[in-house]
Amino acid sequence: MSTQSKTPVLAITNLTVDFETATGTVNAVRGVDIHVNSGETVAIVGESGSGKSQAMMAAMGLLASNGRAGGEVIYEDRNILGLPVSKLNAVRGRKITMIFQEPMTSLDPLYTIGRQLAEPLVVHGGLSWRAARARALELLKLVNIPEPERKIKSYPYEMSGGQRQRVMIAMALANDPDVLIADEPTTALDVTTQAQILDLLADLQKRLGMSVIFITHDLGIVRRIADRVYVMKTGEVVESGETAALFTSPEHPYTRMLLDAEPTGHKSPVPESTPVLLEAQKIKVEFEFDTGFLQPKHILRAVDDISFSLRQGQTLGIVGESGSGKSTLGRAVLNLLPATGRVVFKGQQISGRDRAAMRAVRKDMQLIFQDPFGSLSPRMTVGQVISEGLMVHEPSLTARDRDARACQALEEVSLDPAMRNRYPHEFSGGQRQRIAIARTMVLKPELVVLDEPTSALDRTIQKQVVELLRDLQKAHGLTYLFISHDLAVVRAIADTVMVMQRGKVVEAGTVDAIFEAPKSDYTRELIGAAMLTQRQMMETA
Amino acid sequence: MLRYVLGRLLGAIPTVFLIVTISFFLIRIAPGGPFDLERPLEAKVMENLNKIYHLNEPLWNQYLLYLKSVAQLDFGPSFYFRDFTINELFAQSLPISIQLGLSALCLALVAGGTMGVFAALRQNKSADYAVMAAATLGVTVPNFVVAPILTLLLGVWLGWLPVGGWNGGKFVNIILPVVTLALPQIAVVARLTRGSMIEALRSNHVRTARAYGLTGFMVVVVHALRGAILPVVSYLGPAAAALLTGSVVIETIFGIPGIGRYFVQGALNRDYTLVMGTVVVVACFVILFNLIVDLLYALLDPRVRYD
Amino acid sequence: MSKSIRVTALAAVLMAATTLTAAAEVVYHRGNTADPETLDQHKTSTTYEAHILRDLYEGLVAYSAAGKIIPGVASDWTVSDDGKVYTFTLRDDAKWSNGDPVVAGDFVYSLRRIMTPETGAKYANVLYPILNAEAVNKGDMKPEDLGVKALDDHTLEISLAAPTPYFIDLLGHQTGLPVHPASVEKFGSDFVKAENIVTNGPFTLAEFVPNAHVKADKNPHFHDADKVTIDTIYFHPTEDRGAALRRFQAGELHTNNDAPTEQVAFMRENLGEQFRVAPYLGTYYYALNHEDEALSNPDVRQALSMSIDREFLADEIWGSTMVAGYSFVPPGIGNYGDPAFADYKDMSQIDREEKALELLENAGYGPDNPFQLTINYNTSENHKNTAVAVADMWKPLGVDVSLVNTDTKTHYAMLRDRQDFDVARAGWIGDYSDPQNFLFMVESDNDGFNYARYNNPEYDALMDEAAVTVDLEKRADVLKKAEELFMRDLPFIPMMYYGSMNLVSDKVAGFEDNLLNIHPSRWMTISE
Repeated sequence: MSTQSKTPVLAITNLTVDFETATGTVNAVRGVDIHVNSGETVAIVGESGSGKSQAMMAAMGLLASNGRAGGEVIYEDRNILGLPVSKLNAVRGRKITMIFQEPMTSLDPLYTIGRQLAEPLVVHGGLSWRAARARALELLKLVNIPEPERKIKSYPYEMSGGQRQRVMIAMALANDPDVLIADEPTTALDVTTQAQILDLLADLQKRLGMSVIFITHDLGIVRRIADRVYVMKTGEVVESGETAALFTSPEHPYTRMLLDAEPTGHKSPVPESTPVLLEAQKIKVEFEFDTGFLQPKHILRAVDDISFSLRQGQTLGIVGESGSGKSTLGRAVLNLLPATGRVVFKGQQISGRDRAAMRAVRKDMQLIFQDPFGSLSPRMTVGQVISEGLMVHEPSLTARDRDARACQALEEVSLDPAMRNRYPHEFSGGQRQRIAIARTMVLKPELVVLDEPTSALDRTIQKQVVELLRDLQKAHGLTYLFISHDLAVVRAIADTVMVMQRGKVVEAGTVDAIFEAPKSDYTRELIGAAMLTQRQMMETA
Repeated sequence: MLRYVLGRLLGAIPTVFLIVTISFFLIRIAPGGPFDLERPLEAKVMENLNKIYHLNEPLWNQYLLYLKSVAQLDFGPSFYFRDFTINELFAQSLPISIQLGLSALCLALVAGGTMGVFAALRQNKSADYAVMAAATLGVTVPNFVVAPILTLLLGVWLGWLPVGGWNGGKFVNIILPVVTLALPQIAVVARLTRGSMIEALRSNHVRTARAYGLTGFMVVVVHALRGAILPVVSYLGPAAAALLTGSVVIETIFGIPGIGRYFVQGALNRDYTLVMGTVVVVACFVILFNLIVDLLYALLDPRVRYD
Repeated sequence: MSKSIRVTALAAVLMAATTLTAAAEVVYHRGNTADPETLDQHKTSTTYEAHILRDLYEGLVAYSAAGKIIPGVASDWTVSDDGKVYTFTLRDDAKWSNGDPVVAGDFVYSLRRIMTPETGAKYANVLYPILNAEAVNKGDMKPEDLGVKALDDHTLEISLAAPTPYFIDLLGHQTGLPVHPASVEKFGSDFVKAENIVTNGPFTLAEFVPNAHVKADKNPHFHDADKVTIDTIYFHPTEDRGAALRRFQAGELHTNNDAPTEQVAFMRENLGEQFRVAPYLGTYYYALNHEDEALSNPDVRQALSMSIDREFLADEIWGSTMVAGYSFVPPGIGNYGDPAFADYKDMSQIDREEKALELLENAGYGPDNPFQLTINYNTSENHKNTAVAVADMWKPLGVDVSLVNTDTKTHYAMLRDRQDFDVARAGWIGDYSDPQNFLFMVESDNDGFNYARYNNPEYDALMDEAAVTVDLEKRADVLKKAEELFMRDLPFIPMMYYGSMNLVSDKVAGFEDNLLNIHPSRWMTISE
């Protein structure tokens, strides 16, 4: 980070990207200037739709077929923008390489890691397959893949997300590149893995001396790794500068808003005297896998003997990395999948009830999903989506009553009731999550299980949704079971927290106890990786 | 793997048994018998015929007799083609149907696949529209329309190809039936390939392949097509079973002695054994090809394993 | 050896070679409705099997190119005065394809075989006039009791139960063709396989591939082999008439014994003389169920018959490949004069309709008192068109017609089982050229064919009388009286006489149109 020279390795000037769509031309990038000096790390920050990824895709000649790019991308005194593929490939994948946000899908599922690593070496480096393979093994060692001799023969599906991203990095380094473009390389990973990948990148950069362009929405990462920052909004660079300077004295209001976007606040715990609404005892969920003809079945214990109770108005945050069983627990509590153990809701045992018997309490216990779009039927208007549940649970209502209730629910989530005749695809991600919340609230439930409700949203939107959920809780005395991997969000919304790992509870306690004095190593690792301490330090400073 | 294949094949036996049972009783519900003519037979003659073919025995007895002989892979005498046993008829016709069907299958795969890839690479351009229009035409125009048109054009008017006859499977005789049989399949394969190819070309790992400067051939064939071919393979399983067990229309129009006609002839003539034999053969082909598809899947996609 | 001899030898070889090329194999590609169910003459029942069998075998009698009975293996025969004993003299040079002579014993063996119940012969009843035939076939008597005797190798005596003037015609049917006894004894039912078969006709079987072809090669042992010019015949099953026409146009078929009715206009225009339509020994009719309430009234039946515009059906729907029919027995049949035509044959259609209305109203029906009828037919485009047209013609009479179609087997099973029906389509092609072969269908004891359940003792008596009348002219009169009753009572409504359609290439000579539509390949020549 310190040994950078001031000569740009890659200079992008006046870059534009337009997409031809059925509804007209979309100007995704509108004339941006970005450069990266030798050995430097620059970050491009922005929320979804800001054009940060498309700008880099355009520079690499990877736009979708309906995209057009303009401007200049200068590498080694040559404009590489718009070069024919054969010429572009002298640079692309060799001197300028790229890793992507989606480690799970960025590798071809049908070929081994070794083969995929070797391919660019054979194509660009002119190596024989045998030599390329030897080099691939070296690269796997370089990115700290355990048992590289074995992994080189593995297929992507046999590896975790973190390992796949390491493979991608190895691939990027194969031909000794000058510039590495990393497009949200850690976003899809669990927090602990995220931290490891960032460390690896920083280490490699130091050792190999390449330049890095890092695209992210996560300011914590930016602060940690970038020398310089470009802030993008709706296709334009609104502010740029040295990282430290930008963080301490942001000039553009949008930058200030981004910096301020981490969910803040705190929920006060409910008094001990409040009645218990939900009691879960010894919940276990097992999945059986068919491993083949005449083979013993493999059993995975997704939730392993978990008990907890929830008081009226309380919010229990369940945190854990992917595969920890937190979502399964949420569904087991709602009796949406077969589980053993006992669940008591409002004094009635609901575990073991069949669908018909559950119907009586369904209205009072609702579920909100992570994916706000996938959970809304695309062929129903928003008004129909919201009032659909009323037809089932309150059949006595007239259509007029239902409509009134839908309007009311939309107002509660701060959406204009006039929009109820539109279809879900006309709304943004944040608005869709509000619609999903309204759909739940219209039934006036008592318990709401929220499964990663903010994970697909940008930070600024996240903050609003968290505030909305807190307001609704206060207004209606709701009880939340809040499932998330995002510690910052959990901290802002929950009063008690349960940390899960591999189906078991690692630690549980009040928000303050968990975040300020974590007892288990795993919790400490999680919090450390999420860089909350840093944030907290900033707040206190 | 071998264990899996054996398991699947063993598992098919109850299926075939069920199919045999259902069709045995179903065909006998149809009015009229194998020896009914427009001119009714003397009662005594009918009785004699029934005796020769065991049709005078109780139905369950006939059923057991039939099961016993099928278990020994003997499908019995044909009631209509009285000079032949079903085994003789199949021994003669099945190889022809398989030759015809395999040729059509290969043609469909190669031509359809090429067209689909071509269209996907030129998505929403005129070449794409042309290919897809042709494919739609191929699916919608039935082969009893295509076959006469092709034979009239190439056989009767231009005289380049024979209009009908198998002629021992000579190349010139096989061209028109294979093309006619393959046309709708070419269309389906082209559409399927195009669709999955477009998806594959948009996929992240193909983007990776591009970003790493792989050649167009490697991107398209090695990375995009191998995954894109999977839906085509699962379609082709049942399609192959259908193609290889013959086509009534094609065989009738081109005068080809394949197995496809036997099913219809058998049903219309109440040739019980012929119908049953055809049903068993078709069922076995369907089962076999589903197995082949599943094995091909394992070959193409390392995530699929049977062990 | 002198030089000149060698030259001569060389010339001879050369000449032989040229002759060989000149006499290149003549192949006849003959389109034939469908594959034979069997090539066992005793088990067959269809005309398309007959076409093949008549080329493979020669019976006591054979057919000329014009479809007339001519001497076959029998060079001559005499009939006893009472018409009951036929004595055949067999020709000396008749041989089987393996060189064995054809002897009288072969015919004794063959006729006994077809009558043996175990053979399962579908058409054994054609030969029931032979003494004891029916009893043998039903298992009541032994095959040895059949009235057939070989007086010596070249003399065969057949005794009949009753004088049967058309007996010689019956022997022309494929059921009268002989089998080679030694082969049958040796191979059982497999004697028909190409590798086993021994035949005595102008050709012998080389190959039978179902759905592909039946191949027959010239039989060098045939007594008239010198005059047979065709070396090989391929019988192609041509179930798809459209495809057959295209193959004919492309020169892949020399002849085909059927043609697509929907393309008659095209064929007339483009094929000219190659498209042949000739009167055929058959009648297309609607059977009426006399047990139905309305149809039990003869006036109703007459009215229905009268109002059918047969010229329209024959010319418009069947493209003139049929002829309007006003009698049940088709004209031109042997042993008969003019058939008994309906009296309205020469009335105009308008007059007929008026008369029909009058009849119906007398019977208590008519437009004001409509009644319902169902027409059953076996699935076919033209049967449907015919039924629709008839329904239209009956509508003004106040007959409300609904149509039901089923596949052929179901249709005839329905008629055979005497299930309830009103009107049912059927057709009859004569097995031999004699009016008895038509009129016997509605005898009251004919369970199989009397779909109408017609029961008229007077008619039965006339048929019995005809059966014992030896004098052909007298017999014709009796039969005509019976047909007059038929036309009065209308068990069936005859509508059209069949026409035969053939596609015959210009290259083929010796294919003569005839009433029986019989065209033995031995008479044909093919020029390339």
